Amino acid sequence: MQLISTAFIIMWVISFAIYYLVPGKWQWVVLAVASGLFYVIGTGGIPIGILLTGAGTYACGLYLKNSLAAQREALSGCVDKEKKKTVKVGFERQRKRVQILYFVCNLAILLTTKYMMAALPILRRARLMPDGDAFFSRVVMPLGISFYTLTAIGYVVDVGREQCEAQENPLKLLLFLSYFPSITQGPFNRYEKLRAEFEREHVFDYEKMLFGVQRFVWGAFKKLVIADRINLFVGNVFGGAGQGSPGSVYALAVIFYMLQLYADFSGYMDMAMGVSETFGIALPENFKRPYFSRSVAEFWRRWHITLGTWFKDYVMFSFVMSGIGRKIGKSAKKRWPRMGKHVTGMIGTMLVWLLTGMWHGRTAGYILWGVYYGLIMCTSLVLEKQYIIWKERLSIKEGKLYSLFCMARTWLIVFLADVMIRAENLSQAGAVYRAFLTDFRLKEGILSVTDYGLSKYGFLLLAAACLVWLAVSVWEEQGKDVRRMLASCPMAVRWCCYYGVVLLLVVTGIYGGSYDTAAFLYQSF
Amino acid sequence: MEEKVLEVLEEYCEEALGYKGDNMMEEGVIDSFTVINIVSELEDVFDIEIDAKYVVAENFRNKEAIIELVRQLVEE
Repeated sequence: MQLISTAFIIMWVISFAIYYLVPGKWQWVVLAVASGLFYVIGTGGIPIGILLTGAGTYACGLYLKNSLAAQREALSGCVDKEKKKTVKVGFERQRKRVQILYFVCNLAILLTTKYMMAALPILRRARLMPDGDAFFSRVVMPLGISFYTLTAIGYVVDVGREQCEAQENPLKLLLFLSYFPSITQGPFNRYEKLRAEFEREHVFDYEKMLFGVQRFVWGAFKKLVIADRINLFVGNVFGGAGQGSPGSVYALAVIFYMLQLYADFSGYMDMAMGVSETFGIALPENFKRPYFSRSVAEFWRRWHITLGTWFKDYVMFSFVMSGIGRKIGKSAKKRWPRMGKHVTGMIGTMLVWLLTGMWHGRTAGYILWGVYYGLIMCTSLVLEKQYIIWKERLSIKEGKLYSLFCMARTWLIVFLADVMIRAENLSQAGAVYRAFLTDFRLKEGILSVTDYGLSKYGFLLLAAACLVWLAVSVWEEQGKDVRRMLASCPMAVRWCCYYGVVLLLVVTGIYGGSYDTAAFLYQSF
Repeated sequence: MEEKVLEVLEEYCEEALGYKGDNMMEEGVIDSFTVINIVSELEDVFDIEIDAKYVVAENFRNKEAIIELVRQLVEE
């Protein structure tokens, strides 16, 4: 079930009505039932995977809670400092073993399912896997596995770090893992924040409902009018029709892909957050206008924010502050007094980016993409002081022009990276890079641009939609709340805007034969 | 103690000294590399071990929070 579908809208409206009719203490049950229905009916899926992960997570959380309580009890009767330390270390070691077992099992399931797709033809030939995609997608590759696995791991780490209490109600934990607006593409929720939202009583609020619906429609606009329209062009250029095309056409396709990925993913986020907002539940923001970033590091602080903070909190810091990380850090500092302090951070960064690449896809392109960003982050760290010296020597002053230069530099880095993940394979990516350098043919590219599935009017419409999007983004970047700006407009203007966007969606959105939409790009991650 | 923490911050992230808000990590004043360097330096200076569970946005929201974290770990 896509978020843009009649079935979903009906489910949303019914659960919304029941949600505000039942007493506050039962509202979470309505969300749990809706999430279950979304998962089972929406995908036709068999929720074995999520139930198994949920059961393991529940058991692990309770074990950690009991172990921490036992540790506190053992320490309360202890006076000797050395003995206290021994008791603490003993408990910590036990907890660590259980957590490692939990992580290994969950990550093994995630990696096996993700990489099994690549081995599917071999398994089918050996008759180890039934034919047809339905079995694989319903049982072996459960909906949202990449999202709920990392969310569950985050929960277990938080309980172990005493940053939250373990949940004693298995259904409430399952709701946290399967909350329907965020199950397919995130954002990655933190247990403590979402728990507080689920346990609070939510009273019907007209403004929240209105703002939620507005955000949903805005997300649908980005998805249907911008992302799916761009897809007509990008899909053709990279899908075979573009073979032998000028470098300029490929360049335009990659620029479009940058916009498509952003419109598609942030569009989904707007829809998910809009739906959640109507229930009074705020989800964490996942995008903060990343293309206004002045550096790649800033770009990744503004793009898929919750994935970045997940990797930073649970992988990067865990590695650097682990026994191995500390050992490496100390010996590096001894060996290279000036640069040694950066070594663990750099190893942590490379690890995080390698995993980010692997999380996003199974192909070599994604691995290379991760390594590329890791290397750029590490290089910018090493050269940071040198940049400042160069800037002073060249008398470069901060200002609008310099900011624009920094933004353009970020766009170029992202542009080059996106070739690796959009090309069908590495050899096509290599051909695209070669075409940029040796076969650009700008004039020919401009003349043939309408040969790839997007007409002249399609381009004009796309440009107009992007201008609206840009205007909204600039206002938001200036700290303005666009929804409140709209709310303060006269009624006639407001309703003209609402009808205008809905009309644009209906008339110019890209729909399939039965008015279904193209799948969201991040859904496949 | 406070002075020593401020010295470490001055060396690795001067911006943190003038920061008046309460979300230094999310606002990009202090990035993860800098956090790692500050943690490593504080561990050396105060002979303490800062576990990953303490390296959260809450404890690095501003310089006062970092001082408080170090004070707590030194007293432990």
